[in-house]
Amino acid sequence: MNRDLAFGVAGAVIAVGYYGLAVRIPASALADAVGPQGLPIAYASVLLLLSVILTARSVRRSESPRPVHAARVAGMLAIGAVYLALVPWLGYTATLAALILAVTWYLGGIVNRTIVVVAVSGALVFWLLFVRLLGIPHPAGVWARLF
Amino acid sequence: MSAADLLLIVPAAFGGVAWGILGGALPGISPSITMALLLPLTYGMNPTAAIVMLAATYVGAEYGGSIPAILIRTPGTNAAAATVVDGYAMKEQGRAGEALGISLYSGFVGGLFGLAVVLLLAQPLSTVALAFTPQAYFALGVLGLSIITSVARESLLKGLMAGVLGLMIATVGTDPVTGLNRFTFGSPELLSGIPPILVMVGLFAVGELLAESGEVGWRQVKPERARIRLPGPALWRRIALPQAIGSTIGAFEGMMPGGGGAVSSFLAYNEARRWSRRKDEFGRGSPEGIAAPEAANNTVACTALVPILSLGIPSSNSSAVLLGGFLLHGLIPGPMLFVSHSNVVDGLFVGLFAANIAMVIVGYVMLGPCIWLVSRPRPYLMAFIYALVVSGVYAIETSLFHVGVALVFGVVGYGLRYFEVPLLPMVLGVVLGFMVESNYRRALVLSGGDHMTFLQDPVSAGFLIAATLFLLGSTAHHVFRGRRRPQVGAPA
Repeated sequence: MNRDLAFGVAGAVIAVGYYGLAVRIPASALADAVGPQGLPIAYASVLLLLSVILTARSVRRSESPRPVHAARVAGMLAIGAVYLALVPWLGYTATLAALILAVTWYLGGIVNRTIVVVAVSGALVFWLLFVRLLGIPHPAGVWARLF
Repeated sequence: MSAADLLLIVPAAFGGVAWGILGGALPGISPSITMALLLPLTYGMNPTAAIVMLAATYVGAEYGGSIPAILIRTPGTNAAAATVVDGYAMKEQGRAGEALGISLYSGFVGGLFGLAVVLLLAQPLSTVALAFTPQAYFALGVLGLSIITSVARESLLKGLMAGVLGLMIATVGTDPVTGLNRFTFGSPELLSGIPPILVMVGLFAVGELLAESGEVGWRQVKPERARIRLPGPALWRRIALPQAIGSTIGAFEGMMPGGGGAVSSFLAYNEARRWSRRKDEFGRGSPEGIAAPEAANNTVACTALVPILSLGIPSSNSSAVLLGGFLLHGLIPGPMLFVSHSNVVDGLFVGLFAANIAMVIVGYVMLGPCIWLVSRPRPYLMAFIYALVVSGVYAIETSLFHVGVALVFGVVGYGLRYFEVPLLPMVLGVVLGFMVESNYRRALVLSGGDHMTFLQDPVSAGFLIAATLFLLGSTAHHVFRGRRRPQVGAPA
């Protein structure tokens, strides 16, 4: 499947899904002539039309496949997701150091003393900037209860 | 403007330029990404200082891009691609310092010219806006959306689809007329909609991070030594014409939808060569070949402000992020900005002047750190950019949910890059969607549901006619260009 065809199909699926949600928006006594569903339904219809045209235009075209690197991208996202899950417990600085360490390792860095020092000192610099200098209350985690 | 204001603006300009030079010097980190990374950090700042810092970042990034272009034959930004040709040739001749000096000086000249154009055009254009009604605001939104046809470049269809997807994202949250919740899935965090800043940081910064992580075999850059040498009087005279050409082209391109620094740089390079007495030197280390594109892309960094300040419409990715900066601070760029927040506009003009001065000073000082940064291993750089994104996005509303939303839009940005869909149409849809819908429906309520109201209002009618002409012109251009494109295998 070429990329235009794939994007066309994806667009059509999104349009149909969004239309399904738009028609379920409840009616309101305060509604104007267009209503809260009016423009969403129009957007869904336009997207569906454009998607069908793109799909029809690209259905016969061939294209050499291009790597997606899905696993690598998914890994980067997983690191972000783990960060979001851990930060309320481990606190900002420790979790950020872990994130820097994980991303550096994941992208090909060799785990040694330097990488750990860079990750920890980097996290401390971010803590100084965001928490101390800008006054942003990042999660302190369990450390707040310990000290 | 008080001394206290200056004490805020000048450091912001210097800081923004320094950040921009560092970001611009990193290959793959465009000015818009550099600005998007800074955007969340400006949240707690004074609004004027924040906007100045973002605009100064744009100015700095355009110069920063020329540093690796000259030293390692790798443009830091797309706009610096034209500088590679003669810049690297000069470096090979042992004239790297001279090439960097020409780039810095030409950027300074271009920036000041661009600022003069902004001062001349932005306010007069915005005076029309004092007579704006909901009809006119709706039509202005439509005019803004119509530039999608121009910024879509290769694929009009995909650009339009991205624009509609952006409009869909803008419908998430509370309905502007009835107060009903739409597409919130019971999440209280989505009641106020998806902030455009999350979409921008996700699409530009996280999307690029994900795309870069898929690239294998990063080249380790060897650090180069260089010292900037500003041009002497003889060289000043020689590069004056290409600078004038670059500045003029940059002034027009900056205001045009989808123009941007890259287009203007190549146009300026081409025209400078055409008008040069030493055409044969181009491509072999001509100072004129650096002066023209560098003057052009720094002019663009200023004149891109004209459509934002006067109409609230971004013309490029970088100006869209700048628009995000305005929105983040509760400022609505466009017609009323000159009336309601004239202090911010005045501060921005002063800040841009300071940024151009700062570029010369900071550019001189930052060369060493830039060379050091460019030669760092990429995994470290990517890790720190990731850390900056998660920390910065959290800082906006101290919300981990927002960090998650930015990551989701990072996936969307990666997908759009993979499918070769331009990002700006989606940003335009997100930024203009609420304005279009709320004013469309308000106007209809006021007129009792009569759609003719949009043509009876003179400002609205003017914008709608302009949008129609723009749509027809751009579509015709796309169709005409598509037909003229040579077919593979066709006889020469």
